[in-house]
Amino acid sequence: MAISADFVNPFIEAAMTVASKVAGITMRRGHLAYKRQPDPSYGVSIIIGVYGFLKGQVVYSMKRELADRIVHNMLQDAPILDRDVLYLDALGELANMITGNATAILNQRKELAIGITTPAVAAGSNLTVTLINMPTLALGLYSQYGPIEINIALKETAPSGDPNSESLMP
Amino acid sequence: MDKKVLIVDDANFIRMIVKNILVPNGFEIVGEATNGDEAVRQYERLKPDLVTMDITMREKNGLQAAKEIIAKDPNARIIMITALGQERMLVDSFKIGVRDFVVKPFDPARILSAARKALA
Repeated sequence: MAISADFVNPFIEAAMTVASKVAGITMRRGHLAYKRQPDPSYGVSIIIGVYGFLKGQVVYSMKRELADRIVHNMLQDAPILDRDVLYLDALGELANMITGNATAILNQRKELAIGITTPAVAAGSNLTVTLINMPTLALGLYSQYGPIEINIALKETAPSGDPNSESLMP
Repeated sequence: MDKKVLIVDDANFIRMIVKNILVPNGFEIVGEATNGDEAVRQYERLKPDLVTMDITMREKNGLQAAKEIIAKDPNARIIMITALGQERMLVDSFKIGVRDFVVKPFDPARILSAARKALA
């Protein structure tokens, strides 16, 4: 099954905006590739599930050098003793903001909602989250500190017809 | 007297940022919660003047927690601080009785103005 290229630009826009605003890092657009399923290319991975009328997974993958620089810039106000504790937390929040902002741009059905899960962050070989088996667009972005790849595995599902069913409300 | 604030977010990093914005501006952080269940329990115990609430959290999300808090205390003052800037989230939040809706990433001035407006 094909994956829509319409998903790409919202993630580019969101990633560039968020990286610049929270970490002061300029990103430029790089490669676009098709994969059979998400496949993190670099050492640090952040996985976020998507649910609602779009379903799937977004997997962020970056080199350790870029992750270190992002966290360093995000945690400038943090006490030094807290920085190790906050490392994975800050990376998760970065991915959360990019995914949240991208889904807001993607969501043209104003009456429906797209939810996202809390991020799972893996630095090194401790990736314990199962990656979804779904066609994926891999979007590369480049910065002066190294690349980040965003693996977008999303598909649109038919809404039930009841707008309330797509709410995150109980 | 400083206004008492409960900060609810599963990310330690965001709780730190919000705290660093509010504390120098005359707010007292009386509690922090990492999910909706904790938020409801801490609200009942601490009776804060203001709650800052994330949406995406484990156990119970922020919309559900805000709804429960406002059902028990219709005067509760809650502002959402979330990465989910979709129109449906905003509409659902205001329907519940949330006072403001701030999208991450945010400017410190936006958090301060939302907090002050909610308490006015």
